[in-house]
Amino acid sequence: MRSAVVDVRRLRVDLDDRPVLHSVDLKVVEGEVVTLLGANGSGKSTLVRATVGLVPAADGEVRLFDTPLKSFHDWWRVGYVPQRTTAAGGVPATVREVVAAGRLSRRALFRPAGKADRAAVDHAIELVGLTDHATRSVASLSGGQQQRVLIARAAASEPDLLVLDEPNAGVDHRSQEAFARALRTFVASGRTVLLVLHEMGPLAPLVDRGVVLDGGRIVHDGPLPTPPMTLTGPPDHHDDHREDYGAGLFG
Amino acid sequence: MSFLDYDFMHRALIAAVLTGLAAPAVGTYLVQRRLALMGDGLGHVALTGVAVGLLTGWAPVWTSVAVAVLGALAIDVVRAKGRASADVALAMLFYGGIAGGVLITGLAGSTAATLNTYLFGSITTVSQDDLWVVAILAAVVIALAVGLAPQLFAVCQDEEFARVSGLPVRLYSMLIAVMAAVTVTVAMRTVGLLLVSALMVVPVATAQQLTRSFRTTFALAMLLGVVPSLGGVVFSYYVDVAPGASIVVASLIGFVLAWPAGSLLRRRRARRSVNGEDPRVTGAHVPTEQHPHQHEPECGHPTVEHGDHTDYLHDGHLHAAHGRHYDEH
Ligand SMILES: Nc1ncnc2c1ncn2[C@@H]1O[C@H](COP(=O)(O)OP(=O)(O)O)[C@@H](O)[C@H]1O
Ligand SMILES: [Mg+2]
Ligand SMILES: [Zn+2]
Ligand SMILES: [Zn+2]
Ligand SMILES: [Zn+2]
Ligand SMILES: [Zn+2]
Repeated sequence: MRSAVVDVRRLRVDLDDRPVLHSVDLKVVEGEVVTLLGANGSGKSTLVRATVGLVPAADGEVRLFDTPLKSFHDWWRVGYVPQRTTAAGGVPATVREVVAAGRLSRRALFRPAGKADRAAVDHAIELVGLTDHATRSVASLSGGQQQRVLIARAAASEPDLLVLDEPNAGVDHRSQEAFARALRTFVASGRTVLLVLHEMGPLAPLVDRGVVLDGGRIVHDGPLPTPPMTLTGPPDHHDDHREDYGAGLFG
Repeated sequence: MSFLDYDFMHRALIAAVLTGLAAPAVGTYLVQRRLALMGDGLGHVALTGVAVGLLTGWAPVWTSVAVAVLGALAIDVVRAKGRASADVALAMLFYGGIAGGVLITGLAGSTAATLNTYLFGSITTVSQDDLWVVAILAAVVIALAVGLAPQLFAVCQDEEFARVSGLPVRLYSMLIAVMAAVTVTVAMRTVGLLLVSALMVVPVATAQQLTRSFRTTFALAMLLGVVPSLGGVVFSYYVDVAPGASIVVASLIGFVLAWPAGSLLRRRRARRSVNGEDPRVTGAHVPTEQHPHQHEPECGHPTVEHGDHTDYLHDGHLHAAHGRHYDEH
């Protein structure tokens, strides 16, 4: 049996002394791609934030990689994409600078970035298709491109688990496609993904399991109700073929 | 005689260089965190520290460091709690700082003129002992601001992401607050407690009109802090005004001059910037370079379903068979 990467048991979370999650159980095993779905305010963000330790559990427990959150220290194994609309701060920063921040979980204090660090940052930027924009200021990018910067930042530590909170909400078609590509690459390498989605879009074929939240409780956990392929067709970038598939591979 | 013939001017100029470097260095992080007014608040609080020094006879440099650091930690705790009333609590701390400073100064029997030298700086009052303290504190602040730049950048850019990276965010957050408090004291004799915040913020605002990376903003802001600091001190030698005023006016002039240059630069960049998309995203046809290997179900490369076909993960790229060759997907 594959080991549990995320293991949430009877989790209760209170925000402002009001219960937001009630006795939630969620397990994601190695290599699985699990989506959290649910209406606005149903507690999806709170669940992923509790999973990565940003909000405390009022009751129950959260384990990452078979370790209770309190004693978990290998944070490079987790790549987190928070629910954001912008990647920009109060001071200009380039795409590369923001993505490099994702590498810090692997770096020692007072040491310059090594060769492996720089290569991982380059690769993460390439993964989301922003190589040509690496030296641009993030504030000058479109919303979808900024979202891709956040995904690259999460990928820069070469994590075993990606946790993404609505990474494709309100982003343009190309950024959706870029995100789908990045996720396909990540999934192909056998790693684990927990992601909050508003709509499945082109990602449906990648998702193993859907967990639906309603009012802070899990109301569905299992294969997705709709057959994935009916939600969206395959991307149409095979239309301009000059050669014919019928010619056979490597004739 | 030139201003360089006076020992007090040597000390004032050295203090100006240190202040001009340290204030924008810390200021860059404050602006990035959208806490631009923090320096202002700490200046107010430090005034109470100065007054305690005047009352007790201890060196005001030390008492103001102590009180400003306490104030900084208090602000950071209130901020971290994130309560709606944090704003009001901070305002009270600031008013309390300045009122307490004036009150205790009165009790100490010192005059408003004495207080003024701390509020707006004074080039003739930097003593040898003060200079040592200022130099050491400024050196520590600058070394931390540069040495911990990757970590401080990450914390100021996105606190939650930094936490999930395992960085001790609370510690760094307090460190920034303490660095700001120390900088306020460093700057007390040159630009003064009431205007120190301007030297933390204006050079950064000027720099970021011209830059697009954090690194160059940081370096340029330090340069743009040193130049007006030196200029302001020299100006105050010839014209009898508080150096704080001349330093801040000089750096504001820099901001105004950078404005047209900045908008020109932005327009040029926008015109030149590649709006190109990664071809794999637009659906363009991208064959792989040389590809001697033939992918097949048992070839050992991981696979992933992609619409009507299978992609193979190969050297970090997704490859799909297409006729006699492979495409990048
Ligand atoms: N910081 C907070 N303080 C108090 N209540 C909150 C906070 N953040 C979210 N909530 C509440 O928790 C519930 C779940 O929110 P959230 O997890 O963000 O939902 P979702 O991500 O599914 O839209 C909502 O009712 C919201 O109002
Ligand atoms: Mg949400
Ligand atoms: Zn192969
Ligand atoms: Zn494909
Ligand atoms: Zn290949
Ligand atoms: Zn082809």
